[in-house]
Amino acid sequence: MTQQKLPELDYNKLEIGEELGTYEYVLTQEMIDEYRKSVDDPDGAFPTIAVKHDATALGLAYEDNTGGVNAGNEIELHNPPIAGKKIRVTGRIHDKYSRRDKPYLVIEATATDEDGRLIERMRTYQMKKPDEVGKKWHPQS
Amino acid sequence: MASTELETKAIPTLSKSITQVKINQFESCGIRERENIHNSPELAKQRLGTTYPIASGRMSVAFAAELLRKYFGPEVFHHSGVVNLKFLRPVKEGDAVTISGQYNSSSEVENGTLVTVDITCQNQNGDTTAIGQGSAVIN
Repeated sequence: MTQQKLPELDYNKLEIGEELGTYEYVLTQEMIDEYRKSVDDPDGAFPTIAVKHDATALGLAYEDNTGGVNAGNEIELHNPPIAGKKIRVTGRIHDKYSRRDKPYLVIEATATDEDGRLIERMRTYQMKKPDEVGKKWHPQS
Repeated sequence: MASTELETKAIPTLSKSITQVKINQFESCGIRERENIHNSPELAKQRLGTTYPIASGRMSVAFAAELLRKYFGPEVFHHSGVVNLKFLRPVKEGDAVTISGQYNSSSEVENGTLVTVDITCQNQNGDTTAIGQGSAVIN
């Protein structure tokens, strides 16, 4: 199948409330196991945190050549996902704003499973000038 | 568990050793296979100017979720839990992150009592890497 070329992400053209589309995937036991190992939590119940639903929605809608630094996350947990179930994710642009001359983008995703159970809602605050953060961490360079 | 019990219940402190293997494992849970600033030193250098990849902030969200699950209990936290973190400094391979919490407040809401906890993540140098709050609703 030929993969469709995505439009390049232009921060200035993004609109608050813009829908980023919907995608589905099957959450496997392997994904759960890998997640639990990665965070050293054998009872970790929300491997969806590592699937990065909101960033994935943005990445499936736009080619983002700038990247960004994650400045913050908000997550609401509603029901733990179940291995083998299909997860349906809908993403949107929740907000965008400028703070200290840096552009921020807030993306949001809501996930339900194939039975209609609400799994989680996640928001990420992306700072879209990642090199600025690098300078702050390494002021000598 | 009653919300009044949570006011005095000790909140466990978690310690997490960060390795690049774990950072890469976390990234491999995604459904898009791609290089990023967490698993590619080249991209981290290009985009951040760092000489190393950094751990996803979402790993700290996962750590905070574990802490809150142990405090509230999974039957409560898995159905009403909230984690809200702001990331202040990078976490990278070799770091030891300590995640701690402190009871903040309780307030009556429509379906029970909302209990809020302050959360802090610190590295081995005592630098705060993330700060925020978590909560859950006790029926």
